[in-house]
Amino acid sequence: MRIRLLSLAAMMMLLAAPVLAADAAKSDVKGLYLLTDYPAVTVQPGTTSTISLRLRNYGMAPERLALSVAGVPAGWKATLLGGGQPVAAAMPATDDSVALDLRLDVPKEAAMGTTTLTVSAEGASGTRVSLPIAVSLAKDLPAKLSLQTDLPQLRGASNSNFEYTLTIKNDSGKKLLVSLAANAPQNFDTSFTEAYGTQQLTAIPVDAGKTKDVKLKVTPPSTADAGTYPVTVRVAAEGAEATTKVELTITGEPKLELSGRQGLLSAQATAGKESTIPITVSNTGTAPAENVKLSGTAPSGWKISFDPKVIDRIAPNERKEVQATIQPPEKAIAGDYATTITAASRGETGSANFRITVTTSTMWGIAGVGIIGVALLILVGAVVRFGRR
Amino acid sequence: MRREGSPWQGLGVVLLKEFADHLTSARMRVLEWLVVLVALAAIYAAITQVRDVTAQDPFLFLRLFTTSREPLPSFVAFLSFLVPLMAIGLGFDAVNSEHNRRTLSRILSQPIYRDALLFGKFLAGLATLTVSLLVLWLLLIGLGLIMLGVPPGGEEMGRAFIFLLVTIAYAGVWLALAMLFSILFRSAATAALVTLGLWLFLTVIWPALAPAIAQALVPSDDEAALIIAGQMLARLSPSTLFGEIVLALLHPTTRTLGPVYLSQLQGAVMGAPLPLSQSVLVAWPQIVGLVAACILLFAVGYIAFQRQEVRA
Repeated sequence: MRIRLLSLAAMMMLLAAPVLAADAAKSDVKGLYLLTDYPAVTVQPGTTSTISLRLRNYGMAPERLALSVAGVPAGWKATLLGGGQPVAAAMPATDDSVALDLRLDVPKEAAMGTTTLTVSAEGASGTRVSLPIAVSLAKDLPAKLSLQTDLPQLRGASNSNFEYTLTIKNDSGKKLLVSLAANAPQNFDTSFTEAYGTQQLTAIPVDAGKTKDVKLKVTPPSTADAGTYPVTVRVAAEGAEATTKVELTITGEPKLELSGRQGLLSAQATAGKESTIPITVSNTGTAPAENVKLSGTAPSGWKISFDPKVIDRIAPNERKEVQATIQPPEKAIAGDYATTITAASRGETGSANFRITVTTSTMWGIAGVGIIGVALLILVGAVVRFGRR
Repeated sequence: MRREGSPWQGLGVVLLKEFADHLTSARMRVLEWLVVLVALAAIYAAITQVRDVTAQDPFLFLRLFTTSREPLPSFVAFLSFLVPLMAIGLGFDAVNSEHNRRTLSRILSQPIYRDALLFGKFLAGLATLTVSLLVLWLLLIGLGLIMLGVPPGGEEMGRAFIFLLVTIAYAGVWLALAMLFSILFRSAATAALVTLGLWLFLTVIWPALAPAIAQALVPSDDEAALIIAGQMLARLSPSTLFGEIVLALLHPTTRTLGPVYLSQLQGAVMGAPLPLSQSVLVAWPQIVGLVAACILLFAVGYIAFQRQEVRA
């Protein structure tokens, strides 16, 4: 029985052996420690900053430890906080730690330089740990912005939009709200949007050290002449600013307008007969229109042809005359009809609605007179044939 | 015995005498009063309606002719009913009363030919109708001027004037028809009854009957052909012709009186009025039909009268 108990104890000892070995490895560090991640920090005068500390107990019996901060310059305020409250003592359990915060209120007028504060914890049994923390005072980094664009020169027609992607970089130490502005020639419309969005912006926040892309859209007036126009983009935030220049080159484009002679948009046509309408095609655009084709839409059965069918070239502010031949069908009913005549030159079209008044042939009117004549002849014939006393 | 000399000899005498008789006869006075009172009522209703309803219309004056207000029909509708009545009233006893009074041979013993007698009677009737219609027309325009205060435009007056001429032609058709029956029937009552019967038939029954007859006559399934045939048959009635002319003349936006294919309406600017000449062209076949019918009916009556025995 006794032997049995012993063997059991031995077995238990054997089982416990690895656990003991692990404990021995851990307990290489022994004692009390005051810890912080960054024992040398930079703070700005006039601000309050917090440094987090830990009081660690490695393998010591728990003990009441009085806390103190030494080396605080006059005017500064250093407070030790535990769990959000000011504390004067801490008591970490064995192999455990207590979190502490050192709150520093640095006055605005504090002199530049480095001050070393010493945080210490002292037990009744003479245990004492201390942690020196070097606090450097420094001014904030000044705001700094940079602005870049990959494609600063664009080209297009006056009715197109010019879109530039701009990259704003915040080179300062804090987040900035960057205002956006663009200086374009008169009557040019500019707007900023997010890189992938439609919402227009006047300012955009940029995180410290980060970049943001914005899109600048420039819409020139449709009357803008061909040429190159500069646009200055300016971004600014807290005294810092950056500018860049982009350019847009407008290629001129033709603009076609149609009208009848002397501006008339109406014409007469007889059913079944051809009638000719003079049409004036004018180019009010900024570039010559070439290869202007004329076409017309009219009710079915109508024939529309043009002479010439194609105008080779119309210079800006010039007009050319074309003869349109319109033939309503034989069975057309008298009245007004709407037709559209279109002049097209490489995507640019101009059209005008013409009102064609269709009159019917008077041939049937003459036939009607003939019928009445025949009736009268019958009467005269009767008078001649049957006349008697 | 063949006539010697002009058939017009004595025409003036007959015309003036008949004209005077018509204008002084009690029958004519009753008819005139009926027409004038009824027309006044229609015009008054039209004017109040135009004032209430129409905001703007380039043909405001023409609205006086065509606008109706419950329970009265429009002026034009009144005319299309009363003009035949007047014409029949004037013509139904033109010749047979002479027979019955035994005055025909006495007239013809004068140096007046039968031609002149018939022409004179017809023209006198037509002149009487023209006078009363002209008065009515002027009355309407005068009342319109007073009550609307808007002067009519030139084209409106042109349309109204052609409408007056057409109305006279319409009256002529019924006058010729009434005279034809007064020649054919010796009894005035029979002639009046037959003419009135024919008038009622052509005005009321025939327009409803024509599509049915067309359906029986035209075997094809073609809807359009059927409609055209029905319309052609309906146009045998002078009332239908008159109605269509009125539509084309007094509603300037009317483009056609026949059936229209959808393809013909493509691109058409709706509501745009036609010029007067085009409106007349639209209604021209109907106008020709009325005038020719008037002449032919008279010619038939003339032949019948020439072949008749006048010595009773």
